[in-house]
Amino acid sequence: MASLTENSVLVSVQNLQKHYGDLAALGGISFDILQGEVFGLLGPNGAGKTTTIEIIEGLRQPDSGSVTVCGLDPAQASMALKERIGAQLQSTVLPDKMRVDEALRLFAGFYERSASVHMLLERFGLVEKRHTFFENLSGGQKQRLALALALVNDPELVLLDEPTVGLDPQLRRDIYALIEHFRAEGRTVLLTTHYIEEAERLCDRVAIMDRGQLVALGTPRELIARSGHGTRLEVRLAKPVGLDRLKLIEGVIDCGEADGAYFFHAQPAALAIAALVRFLESDDNALVDLHIAQPSLEDVFVEMTGRRMEH
Amino acid sequence: MPTVRIALLTIRLVMRTKVALFFTFLFPLVFLFAYAGLIARGNPNVVAYMFGPVVTLNIMGSGFFGLGMQSVMQRERGSLRRYRLAPIGPRTILLSNLLANYLLELPAIGLLLFTAVVFFHMPMKIGWVTLLVLVTVGTFAFAGFGLTISSVANTMQEAQIYNNLVWFTLLFLSGVTFPLPMLPRWVQRLAMFFPSTYLVSTFQGVMAQAESLPDHWPEMLVLLTSGVFGLLFAMKLFRWEKEERISTKAKLWSAVFVLPFLVMGMWMNTRANPAANWARSYNVAGRANAASPNPEAEKPNLIENFDGIQASEDLLSRWQISTDSDVSGHSMAETSLLTPGAEGTPHAMRLKGHLAPGPKDAQGHVSARYEVRVPVGSRNLRGIEFEARGEPRIYQVGFQPPKAAASPVPEISFVPGEAWQNVRVPIAWLANPSGYGLAGGPWTLEISVTGPAGEFALDLDEIRFY
Repeated sequence: MASLTENSVLVSVQNLQKHYGDLAALGGISFDILQGEVFGLLGPNGAGKTTTIEIIEGLRQPDSGSVTVCGLDPAQASMALKERIGAQLQSTVLPDKMRVDEALRLFAGFYERSASVHMLLERFGLVEKRHTFFENLSGGQKQRLALALALVNDPELVLLDEPTVGLDPQLRRDIYALIEHFRAEGRTVLLTTHYIEEAERLCDRVAIMDRGQLVALGTPRELIARSGHGTRLEVRLAKPVGLDRLKLIEGVIDCGEADGAYFFHAQPAALAIAALVRFLESDDNALVDLHIAQPSLEDVFVEMTGRRMEH
Repeated sequence: MPTVRIALLTIRLVMRTKVALFFTFLFPLVFLFAYAGLIARGNPNVVAYMFGPVVTLNIMGSGFFGLGMQSVMQRERGSLRRYRLAPIGPRTILLSNLLANYLLELPAIGLLLFTAVVFFHMPMKIGWVTLLVLVTVGTFAFAGFGLTISSVANTMQEAQIYNNLVWFTLLFLSGVTFPLPMLPRWVQRLAMFFPSTYLVSTFQGVMAQAESLPDHWPEMLVLLTSGVFGLLFAMKLFRWEKEERISTKAKLWSAVFVLPFLVMGMWMNTRANPAANWARSYNVAGRANAASPNPEAEKPNLIENFDGIQASEDLLSRWQISTDSDVSGHSMAETSLLTPGAEGTPHAMRLKGHLAPGPKDAQGHVSARYEVRVPVGSRNLRGIEFEARGEPRIYQVGFQPPKAAASPVPEISFVPGEAWQNVRVPIAWLANPSGYGLAGGPWTLEISVTGPAGEFALDLDEIRFY
């Protein structure tokens, strides 16, 4: 591991800009990643997450701005940096006929320091699949192999680009457990995702990105607390009610309707629920179903951008 | 060492892919059987002549469709991206591909050699070291070709178009498919610009004429240069991502790759005389064909090469010398056996004598006649050829029919020089409808000298139909 002290800055991104032709992929973003934290870049497709992580990996050159990773400039000290970081691409492609253990041994052989291939196979649940060709692996197994490859050099910084995209919920939870293990080992992790659940569950801090801009940065709790949306309520009623009347209920911030259900953002929630029950009694109506959800990073995203995240 | 690790794994991957295995090892054998069976008709010496084109074809295929396409495919599939995250650079990737291609090529050519020797009894006229050097240089040169094309092509489709354009040009116009001496002169001139010509002709020179590699150092140098150029281009234009496109300007720069071939082609066309050497290799293979144990294959070509004659006196039973047929003779001539003959063969014949000044305006005259049986299947013969050298003087050569011709028989004039040169006497004019026909009694090959009085000497060898 690096000689940096705890909470020292491992990655520093300052005023990073990147254009693809006329398209501004990054419009001057800045953030720091501290040693030992799991840092998330959350945003919809096209937000600039992959461009950012690839600049940090040294795969792309920024138009302007500066990046320092493990005290190195990725553009100038690419080889030295690659010895210290491990990365998983959004889509990892290996030759079809390459076996799992061959891939791990091959890539481990590229580094001055490498982890035990057997240990990686065990840890990522690939022991039984070690002789399987890449083309015969399932999506989840390929992703686990990609994560194992990111760890072949025992890196201090792990960069994961959409590690669970395209996986079913169970496989996604398996990957979450692996990433949580990275944190337990004291590794610093930068991950990009467009899954709210993933960012909320895994990340110590989250940077929300949209259209090349960083729109919010903080711990998930801080970001949600900063949001003025309040608790989210979903109710089904015995009889339909006009939205204009529901908006007048005490504590309700806003409301909407979809598929026969009504959605509220309420603050404080308890006051709004009591007022809703009273309103329904007076209106000769009844509460059929009620779901209460705490505000999420999605609400923060909606507040910051005025749009929902497209999954 | 990452380069070796990737190369060895690449070889393992090829071994696991049936299509790659087929094209690496079995497909070249198909060509060997086709060339050896259909063109060489199993004649071991002709197989030796055709071995170079088969190996060149194999090397070209691995350069263009193995290494070249593999590089583009890795980029297109995105498998290069994973390597990009590791502490290795383009040089490691390129050198590993090059090494894997070479290491796969060696057993493939070994298999060709084994098949040619065991099944077609090809004489092993090439040393192991020479063969290894030739294969190494050739593989490196065409790897340069493949790498250059993969560097300038932005997509697989583009690479396929470039590959096929170059592939088919080299395939048909450089002696890989058709022996160069069979091709028109303008194609031969064009072929002098193609690297496959250099490899094929070097192979044939070494295998058919027992030449040494240093005899072909210009070809070797150009092939090596093209390999180096290709590797440099590939390093300069290397791209990890399929989204990265190469500019038109960079594509134009790659035209520099053809410079060595331009220089070599111009030099060959103006200063060297490779066509004569190609013809010699071809003829040597043909003579070997005549000397084959198959009598049917032997008969059609060779008329006389003097190699079976032990003493000069024996020539008298075969050659008839006459002098001054029109006036009382003062000229004189004699034949003698000469060692060695053309192209290092055991014997040749020397016709040497003196032309006397004739009375009044008459000139001395000497002629040497040799009776020739025109073989069955003569409709495929185009003429008689032989190797000649001597003191510069005009000689006439004609091919006389068995009976007195109703019309004059044309003669060909030639002037020999210090070096052996090939003289051809077309006989197509004798075929129908001029009325003679070729079959029948013995024809006479007549070589005569007349003109200013004085000494003359003419060496003859390798008289054959062509």
